[in-house]
Amino acid sequence: MSLSIYNARLLDPATGLDETGAILIEDGKISAITLGATSAHDGAADSLDAHGLCLAPGLIDLRVKTGEPGDEQKETLATASRAAVAGGVTSLVVMPDTKPVIDDVALVRFISDRAKTSAKARIYPAGALTTGLKGEAMAEIGLMADAGAVLFTNGDEPLQNASILKRAMTYAASRGAIIMSRPDDRALKGSGVMNGGAFAARKGLAGIPREAEWIGAARDLMLAETTGCTLILDQVSTPRTLELVAKSRSEGANVFTTIAAHSLFFNELDIGDYLTYCKVNPPFRDEDTRLAMIRALKAGEIDAVVSAHDPQPPEEKRLPFGEASFGAAGLETTLAALLSLVHDGPLSLLEALAPITCRPADMIGLPQGRLAEDAPADLILFDPGKPWLCEREHLRSRSTNSPFDGRRLQGRVMQTFISGECVFTR
Amino acid sequence: MTKAAYHYTFEHEHLLGIEGLHPLDITHILDLANEYAEATRAGQRADPVLSGKTVVNLFFENSTRTMSSFEIAARRLGADVISMPVAQSSVKKGETLIDTAMTLNAMKPDVLVVRHSASGGAKLLSRKVDCAVINAGDGTHEHPTQGLLDTLTIRRNKGRVEGLKVVICGDIAHSRVARSTTQALHLLGAEVHLCAPRTLLPSGTETWGAASATSDFDTALQGADVVMMLRLQLERMDGAYLPSRREYFRYFGLTQERLSLAREDAIVMHPGPMNRGIEIESAIADGERSVITEQVEMGVAVREAVLHLLAGGRP
Repeated sequence: MSLSIYNARLLDPATGLDETGAILIEDGKISAITLGATSAHDGAADSLDAHGLCLAPGLIDLRVKTGEPGDEQKETLATASRAAVAGGVTSLVVMPDTKPVIDDVALVRFISDRAKTSAKARIYPAGALTTGLKGEAMAEIGLMADAGAVLFTNGDEPLQNASILKRAMTYAASRGAIIMSRPDDRALKGSGVMNGGAFAARKGLAGIPREAEWIGAARDLMLAETTGCTLILDQVSTPRTLELVAKSRSEGANVFTTIAAHSLFFNELDIGDYLTYCKVNPPFRDEDTRLAMIRALKAGEIDAVVSAHDPQPPEEKRLPFGEASFGAAGLETTLAALLSLVHDGPLSLLEALAPITCRPADMIGLPQGRLAEDAPADLILFDPGKPWLCEREHLRSRSTNSPFDGRRLQGRVMQTFISGECVFTR
Repeated sequence: MTKAAYHYTFEHEHLLGIEGLHPLDITHILDLANEYAEATRAGQRADPVLSGKTVVNLFFENSTRTMSSFEIAARRLGADVISMPVAQSSVKKGETLIDTAMTLNAMKPDVLVVRHSASGGAKLLSRKVDCAVINAGDGTHEHPTQGLLDTLTIRRNKGRVEGLKVVICGDIAHSRVARSTTQALHLLGAEVHLCAPRTLLPSGTETWGAASATSDFDTALQGADVVMMLRLQLERMDGAYLPSRREYFRYFGLTQERLSLAREDAIVMHPGPMNRGIEIESAIADGERSVITEQVEMGVAVREAVLHLLAGGRP
């Protein structure tokens, strides 16, 4: 079977391509890219007129939490996948902090098998770095990697014992495994619930100081330098952290950084009257910091953007701000958050797409995330200018704790393809 | 080669480590040990060169095997032997060691065989006593008689040591056996390759004489003449040195399949006690390429030779 999508604005951040043309999909892969073509490929069994919509690689999201197994009332792999394809996310890495924790080969296989039978999107399990995420004993990094775990992380509970982290990094390095770590010194974070500073003080909320991220990052980076481990610093939120990363890179460390899409969109003032949907960690920072991070993204100092999708049901959020859970649903709004930076001026369309397509693909070694012959035909057709109102009752996640609720956004996915098959049509 | 051929005398007062020995010292010990081994096999009684001498086994760490081996060796040479398994007390270790040494020294033994959990323990003791001290294992530093018995076992099976490719796999970082055996084999011209998970592979092993250090066991095994597996201390799973026993076995366990990467006539060694199914498959441990029981046999012979050289006059 073959499909030709023509009359499309082809966007490939990997090569910088931005031209009208057609692509031919055969056997789930891109078999031809014809620039300038405004009609279908000859001999294609099916054809689709894109009417000038943007055709880009499907999004690759390196950080998604679901509730499966153990908290299916929050989200399952199936509901996360449903939300993902509606948001243009075709590949997602799911975090190991479930119940039970994904710290064992059988559980890695469980996620892969469940995903195959219940989810439309491609789902890649991340393995726990330590058994039970307790931070005490190293999990079976080698065996889980062999079973398909793409990276290893302690999730939202970064290792506090640097000695154990060092050994885990040393071991991971020798097996070629990637470690993702949240730079977050827990003693400094303390009981903080939002960005530390004047606004937190005025609101009477405990602040999370930026030093918590800096000190966590400095530790992780130095250990990455000495052990040779490939490190992904998970959700950085301040420019100072990026300076530390640059320094480590100059020392030869193999380090990548990610940022949560929502922290490019919101600042701490969006918490307003204690909106718990805006309670995330790392917290929304001040406006200057947000703008600095956008500039860093444009300069390529941040490697990937993640949704940091963290579904939390009402019982976890309808609480006083200090008591509510951290986390925001993000799968359906990541693209719009990035496109807002295009409409507001700072980023080009390709600059907005690269950190959520080809760059995360390269970080964990996936063949998709690009418009290239022989690459998997994971594609999205989107209208970059289409206005829409984000209303949580219309979100497809099982938990709809979105800080974008009530926001007017611009740019929507119209169709999503995985392996050439249409898995979502608006 | 006879002693007369190179006008050699063994000049050392103690045996604290392989470090500091000359290749000729090692060859000399091995030659004598080999004579003892052959004599024992032929059912001959050794000359009582240690008759009237007192050998004290002072073991601050439990080890039935090594202590028995020294005891048998000393008895075969006619010595009076006292074995003192000194349980680790809550007293500060350094203090205990020195106090015990002074007390024993006052009783005028001829040889002290000491095992202690602290690296440098044997050296410390040797400074405080007037008799010969044999290090039977000090912390993660050295275990020289093990290095010698491994070398002798290899020499007997392969007819030489020089030019052999020896792979030592296991917890190199915490192994005194690896340190002693690597140095002994290197001094006699073998090419020693160390293999361990990166968390158990210290840096600087080239200063021990190792030709390489790697975490890729399969590659290391190619063309090996000797494969020596080390015991994995199961407490390494605590403190995150290693994920699990099964993952260790998957990448570092010696299986039939893996062994086929080595030379067809490769021999398999293990200092014991073994964790079957963790670092070595039972079929290999008990198989025809295993020389593990011969290692135990050579252990007694080497200790006879060392006791003879240190306390029985200088042959």
